[in-house]
Amino acid sequence: MSWFLFIILAFFTLAGGLGVVVTRNVVHAALFLLVSLVAVAGLYLILFAEFLALVQVLIYGGAIIIVLLFAIMLTRTAEYPYISDNKQWPLAAVAAAAVGVVLGAAFLDNNIPETSPNSPAFADLANSLFTTWAIPFEVASLVLLVALIGAIIIARTGEDNR
Amino acid sequence: MVWAWLIPVLSFAAVPLIILFGKRLPAKGSPLAILAILAGFAIFWVVFAGFLSASPDTEGCEIGVGTEALTCNFKITWFEAGIPGADTSNHDRIEVAWGMTIDPLTIAMLGLATFVALMVQIYSLGYMRDHDGNFDPRLDWYYAFHALFIASMLTLVLADNFLLLYVAWELVGLCSYLLIGFWHERPEPREAAKKAFIVTRIGDVGLLVGILLLWSQVGSFSMTETFAAIENGVLSDGVITVSALLLFLGAMGKSAQFPFHVWLPDAMEGPTPVSALIHAATMVAAGVYLVARAFPLFSASDTAMLVVATIGLITALGAATIALVATDLKRILAYSTISHLGLMMLSLGAFGYTAAVFHLLAHGFAKALLFLGAGSVMHSTDELDVRQMGGLRRVMPVTAILFSIGALSLGGIPILAGFWSKDEILVAVNKELPVIFIVLTLVTALFSALYMARAMFVVFYGRFAEQFEHVHDAPKTMSITMGLLAVFAIVFGLLALDLPGPFKGIGYFIFYHEGHGLVVVAWVMGLSTLLAIAAFIFGYLAYARRSINLDGTRGTFARVLEVAENKYYVDEIYQWTVDRVVLSLSRFIAWVDRALVNDVGINGPGDITRVLGDRLKYHVTGYVYTYALAMALGLIGLAIFWWLVSR
Amino acid sequence: MVPLVAFQVLSAALFAIGLYGVMARRSAVLIVMSIELMLNAVNINLIAAASHLDGMGKWANFDGQIIAIFVITVAAAEVGLGMAIILRMYRNRSTVNVDEINLMKW
Repeated sequence: MSWFLFIILAFFTLAGGLGVVVTRNVVHAALFLLVSLVAVAGLYLILFAEFLALVQVLIYGGAIIIVLLFAIMLTRTAEYPYISDNKQWPLAAVAAAAVGVVLGAAFLDNNIPETSPNSPAFADLANSLFTTWAIPFEVASLVLLVALIGAIIIARTGEDNR
Repeated sequence: MVWAWLIPVLSFAAVPLIILFGKRLPAKGSPLAILAILAGFAIFWVVFAGFLSASPDTEGCEIGVGTEALTCNFKITWFEAGIPGADTSNHDRIEVAWGMTIDPLTIAMLGLATFVALMVQIYSLGYMRDHDGNFDPRLDWYYAFHALFIASMLTLVLADNFLLLYVAWELVGLCSYLLIGFWHERPEPREAAKKAFIVTRIGDVGLLVGILLLWSQVGSFSMTETFAAIENGVLSDGVITVSALLLFLGAMGKSAQFPFHVWLPDAMEGPTPVSALIHAATMVAAGVYLVARAFPLFSASDTAMLVVATIGLITALGAATIALVATDLKRILAYSTISHLGLMMLSLGAFGYTAAVFHLLAHGFAKALLFLGAGSVMHSTDELDVRQMGGLRRVMPVTAILFSIGALSLGGIPILAGFWSKDEILVAVNKELPVIFIVLTLVTALFSALYMARAMFVVFYGRFAEQFEHVHDAPKTMSITMGLLAVFAIVFGLLALDLPGPFKGIGYFIFYHEGHGLVVVAWVMGLSTLLAIAAFIFGYLAYARRSINLDGTRGTFARVLEVAENKYYVDEIYQWTVDRVVLSLSRFIAWVDRALVNDVGINGPGDITRVLGDRLKYHVTGYVYTYALAMALGLIGLAIFWWLVSR
Repeated sequence: MVPLVAFQVLSAALFAIGLYGVMARRSAVLIVMSIELMLNAVNINLIAAASHLDGMGKWANFDGQIIAIFVITVAAAEVGLGMAIILRMYRNRSTVNVDEINLMKW
């Protein structure tokens, strides 16, 4: 059962990813990305990481895709429906494939003793996040705040840019 | 006794005050320096009294290792480095103390240095004026340097470890540079200051290496621990000899021993009170003091002792012959100093520890007096060539009498200070060294009396030089200080005797291993007295009465005299060495530095990188995806590399 | 039961796809999307390891999940900033194509 689900989700993940990188239409690419991200959320469920699956759908599937679509809308140019790759794409394909092979080989080469998939309760996760990882958590919130302010400053229009 | 640290610190404190506020204070702040050294002199007596009443049971005091004399140590930790709490002997930890050691040698040097410095600083109030009575425009700097000079010397004397001693040692060198070159508007003082600094620095390198060698073996800079290590046989004979010789190299530089004596005569270009201070109490005394202070080290090596004695004898005899033919009054005195420093070294080399320190003190008082007298003559007449002078006692009687006292004392006329200390040296040399040494030492003593007689009779007696009809005698600040020094030059030698009361002679106060009274060897004392008196009578007849005509003899000894008058060509040899050897070597090294180190070693990689950059930059696209591709290729390359390495 | 290595190979493949996108696409928006793919590949790896390596070593088994949360946080920040930069770029140069922006050289 889990194999069946895994194969289906893996197919959608990779197909979505491939769609992002080969399609000519930018809006289509965003929709392919949505497919891939939602499939990844499904993979998290196979791994019993329900919280992460939820976060994945909310943040990636919701927020990030919406932001990307807004960016596409605000920067609309005439070539968006039939955008092409740059001149080095064959070389890039070879290099990317090579990196994939290197990573895959490294993973296959590694015989880590493993258990069956399991996952902590929400409560344990929250406990760990707010005790052991409290300081990184706060730092992360600060990073988000800074990024937010930075984004506003960078994207501001010129007139009030004193 | 604990308050001895105040003696140098007061003078140190005076330095910034004079520099900052001197211009606005009366007499340009010079009273500050004088008050500081006066307070130091007063504290010296307190320390002296405290030391006399101290016993080995007193806190901080013990019977010194090596010297067997009462030694009191007070210290605070200056800095520490290394592993906390570790043992110092294997260099896991360094501990350096701000400490002082007080023993009879320190007391003697403190007394000499503070007293002479006080006299010189008061004297300078009179000397550092022009003929209209106005102060020198840089009088504040003069006194600031003076205060720094004496403070450094006092720190050197008090230091209980070699590192602190070295710091003070270099400060003394710096101050002598500043003061010799004080009138730097003229070229000669500048050159003399540089010469003094560089020549002494050559010796200082030896001193530093010696100190570090001792530290590497003992693990501590402390003198007490070093001497204890020697006593306990921790150090090998080779190390003791080498480190003693290296320390002696430093002492040779500072105390102007052959072949490093060349700076001292040139140092006459400084103000005369500075010369008095350098010659009597501070700079040159430091070298003799160092050998005396490290005497447990030196006496443990026969080779080192023989070298010290030989160098001392060569210096003493050579300088005495030059002094006989020199024509500049201050140079006569300078070579006389070199000669007497040689005698002190000779005495130390002959285990005459007491005699050397005794002579250092006696010579210090007499030589300070002589220099201040010469300064007085120079101040009044603006003349230093003795051939132009004569009969000055008619116009400057006080200076004449005081100078004569100094000359007689240094010449070794009985019951004056120089007689006793010189006799002690002769006894020590006679006892410890081969017969050739005592013969040559007696010759030196004769020469010493001769050149003193010459300086005294030519300048102050004989035919009056008419052009000095209107010169004035020394002002009060100068004559009173000279008078006080003269008192010491007369009576100080009596300390050698077993006086009524608890004092049994200086041999029981300053001694090495065991105290001893005045040793009288009849024929030595008789012969030296005879020689001294004969020399002065000869001097009187030849230079004052002119009843012995020396003009004829000059032709006979022309060759010898010429060599001596040219100071044995030592300066010329140095000049030749520097011109030929040092400069060629320097040129070669400069070439290596420019061509190999700089052009090839440093500019080479830089040039390659720059040229490559110039060529390669046109191939940079500036597209961000090119960089991403490069990163990916780099990742692949790294993976392949690690795979090859780990296989 | 799906073994860990299946997830790892999947994540390697997704990473390679994302990397290709970064290297080959011209539009800055598409490059940001490709970066998101790469981040997701990393997250898959982290969470799969967290689930499968219970009790291995000193790490609690869900530390990987927590790190994944941080990755998502940073990804959100990155998208925000990235989009702001793209907007700025568009406003200044009327294009978001990275092959028209090559001032980053001599």
